[in-house]
Amino acid sequence: MTDRARAFAGRPTAASPTTVRPAALSADGLTLGYGSRTVLQDITFDIQSGTWTAIVGPNGSGKSTLLRALAGLATPRAGTIALRGRPLGQWSRRERARELAWLAQDSGTTNLTAAEVVGLGRFAHSGWLSSRKAEDDAAMRRAMLATGSLPWAARRVTTLSGGERQRVLLARVLAVEAPVLLLDEPTTHLDPPHQQDIARILRDQAHGCGVCVVSAIHDLSLALTADRLIVLGTAGLIGHGTVKEALNGDWLSTAFRTHVDIVELAGVYLWRPALAGATSSSTETP
Amino acid sequence: MSAAHPDLAVLQDGPLPIDQGSRVFYWLAACVATTALLTGASLVVGTSSFETSLGWLFAPDAQSAVILWQIRLPRTVGAWSAGALLGLAGAIAQGLFRNPLAEPYLLGTASGAALGVTLCLLGADASIGALAWTAKLGVTGAACIGACAAIALTILLSRGVLQTANLLLSGIVVAFLLSAVTSLLLLAKPDLWRSMQSFLLGSTGFLSWNGAALLGIVLGICVLPSILLSRGLDALSLGEDTAQSLGLSLPMLRLTLLAVLSLATAAAVGQVGIVGFVGLVAPHLVRETITVNHRQLLIGAALCGGALLQAADLVSRWIIHPAELPVGAVTAVVGGIYLVVLLWRRSRHD
Amino acid sequence: MSSSIGNRRRGQGFIAALLSFGLALAAHASIVRDDLGRDVRFAEPPRRIITLLPSITETVCALGACDRLVATDRYSDWPVAVRALPKAGGLDDAQVELIVSLKPDLVILSRSQRITDRLADLGIASFALETDRYSDIEHNIDVLGQILGTSERAAELNDSIAARVRAIGDAARAARAGEGPRVYFEVDRAPYAAGPTSFIGELLARVGARNIVTADLGAFPKLNPEYVVRYEPDVIFVSATDAPSLAERPGWDKLRAVKEHRFCSFPPEIRDTLVRPGPRVADGMQAIADCLARVAP
Repeated sequence: MTDRARAFAGRPTAASPTTVRPAALSADGLTLGYGSRTVLQDITFDIQSGTWTAIVGPNGSGKSTLLRALAGLATPRAGTIALRGRPLGQWSRRERARELAWLAQDSGTTNLTAAEVVGLGRFAHSGWLSSRKAEDDAAMRRAMLATGSLPWAARRVTTLSGGERQRVLLARVLAVEAPVLLLDEPTTHLDPPHQQDIARILRDQAHGCGVCVVSAIHDLSLALTADRLIVLGTAGLIGHGTVKEALNGDWLSTAFRTHVDIVELAGVYLWRPALAGATSSSTETP
Repeated sequence: MSAAHPDLAVLQDGPLPIDQGSRVFYWLAACVATTALLTGASLVVGTSSFETSLGWLFAPDAQSAVILWQIRLPRTVGAWSAGALLGLAGAIAQGLFRNPLAEPYLLGTASGAALGVTLCLLGADASIGALAWTAKLGVTGAACIGACAAIALTILLSRGVLQTANLLLSGIVVAFLLSAVTSLLLLAKPDLWRSMQSFLLGSTGFLSWNGAALLGIVLGICVLPSILLSRGLDALSLGEDTAQSLGLSLPMLRLTLLAVLSLATAAAVGQVGIVGFVGLVAPHLVRETITVNHRQLLIGAALCGGALLQAADLVSRWIIHPAELPVGAVTAVVGGIYLVVLLWRRSRHD
Repeated sequence: MSSSIGNRRRGQGFIAALLSFGLALAAHASIVRDDLGRDVRFAEPPRRIITLLPSITETVCALGACDRLVATDRYSDWPVAVRALPKAGGLDDAQVELIVSLKPDLVILSRSQRITDRLADLGIASFALETDRYSDIEHNIDVLGQILGTSERAAELNDSIAARVRAIGDAARAARAGEGPRVYFEVDRAPYAAGPTSFIGELLARVGARNIVTADLGAFPKLNPEYVVRYEPDVIFVSATDAPSLAERPGWDKLRAVKEHRFCSFPPEIRDTLVRPGPRVADGMQAIADCLARVAP
């Protein structure tokens, strides 16, 4: 774990043995929308570093919008977002790029090699002239090792399969070595073993490196392996808290407007799909 | 981490296996060699036969020295510079708009330049006062100004450079509008058609050392910021959001690159008229041959574009010598054939 | 039987009248072949004529039939009288409606105009004439004389033109010692030159000038600018607007003709005579000969 991440997480470092610990990301009275639609109204929450928070909710509930707002890519209609106690707007673009790493839901088509894509993650550190220092190389290697994408470092991204490409893109995000990771559907295109790998990486980043990880994940079972949940529904924020709190409050059923059956199996929460009975379009909640 | 990566142990140490610098180097060297060859060839091609020209090289007299060093050499050097500018502009356009069909004239530059030239030719016939003005400005200056005006109009219409789609649409609208005005003016004075034709089809015939020097200077001005901003184009290829999250200032990138694109295109159009396909084909040729990031693409496209236009100039004055084909017609034919081959190969792949 | 004899006398007279009328008719009716190969029949000379070529307008007027013109194309401007006539369009966009509304007896146009078929469909007589070469001038004057019924005047006109042309050529040859000057005639700044097979080229040859462009290059070749530097013309024919910029062309500033300003530029009226093979050809030739005498080394 780098000293920077430690300092960010408020953990003692050699330079400063005792520190206060502000929330990594916090939203206050946030209202978001696009076009004429208001998607989220007046929501407030804190996200601490060293945790993995998963944003869940049905389509159109505003998961991507919320993530984009947290990354500073979309201006909120009202309210503020603070990064380490300071409003996002007060951070310079370069500083913010070093603090926040963002993974988009769909990537553009690019002709670069995998290694060059990962190398772009160092943009915030090395800038326009791509002089690769040893530090950059080391970060890239770590990121590619972590995602298992080192074998195809020299291949063009367009020649890789969907899953392989996704892992390269994730390596790009990890290469930034930012204290906050914002990921929009990081497990798209990945088969179960690799989804599992990603989940492990995210947990490791959060617990092992003190990174603040926020991700929007479709797959409920995978989302439930996170530490905390932010549950969004069509009406807005249903609740935010630990996974246990979410399950006790049955937030998922409220969000999805249908009974979501969660079972616990060997310390892991799983979603059990109900194959018989009324369809989800029925408004009844048993 | 999945255990199924046998080569992982091997890759633990040592540099990252990403440098294919040698391949890129050989390709660039090939470009330079081709340019040298074409330059040499252009010294012996023209209105005189091959043997006569060779004779001139070794035993020059006053007249042949003028032909070789005042006409043929600046013409080929100027053609190379113009081609390099067009290739660079094409690569920038394709990177900026993330569209492999983008080319230097997509912001209405061609139509603007044509209108500028038409107005200049009309002015020359209109009155003595106007003649003095247009003589000072020249067709070159008029074309340049017209091109820049068209781009300014496009940016104005799309209300800034932030929305790529708006820019493209505005470019199309401006191109159509200005072409219509040009056509109407030419209808009123049909004698100008022949002069306009030579401009519209491109011509390297009157490239002097002054013109070649001007193009060279503009090339120098354009190359530096392009190389510096090339990494930004790489980041942009991952998506606008991702690029922004990496700390890239999109408006700054767009404005600067658009300025470079405009300058390069306007300068080229001013000197050689409207030569199509070079800006489109040069970046494609580079991408098809080697894997590149944008820095290598911009340099490669410039070198490739230069060689292409040099070759076209050579063909245009050799094929029906001592008469001459418009160089834009040659690039259109060659470019068209190349694109057809490309499409055919692509469809075979799928 | 005196009435039958009287009847026979009246019958003979009637037949005689008929015969003489028929003869008179036959004397006027003529069949003339136009340059599209069509045989056009003229019962009598046309009274209402529309011309769609400036050179034909000039020829018709030179033959004294100017008053029979009801409309011309938009470029016809000589003699001054025709400028008042309605304009029926240009070479490619003749206005069919206007032509039809004027009810012409004959429309004279060039071989390549598309309107020919349209006119035929609408039942309007048309006559195609080619006007590209020097030889066309004499031919057209003859043919038009036949059509208009002014054949004697046509013959006179042809004789006078031929005489003038010969005189100009002889005077030019006499005025100089040795061969004629080498010339380059620039038609457009691309540069397009007038070759020996063009009408301009023929005129240049008739005054004894030597065209640096050879016949195999065609009538109006687009030259490599190097060609002019290589073949060093003594005199350059160029438009007045382009003349100042010749020195800027690479290599041209070394040409003696450019350095010594040996240029020939003509005003629009003279320029017209050089591109319209018609009755004013001698005027054009005279202008060329005069300029050469003045400017050639």
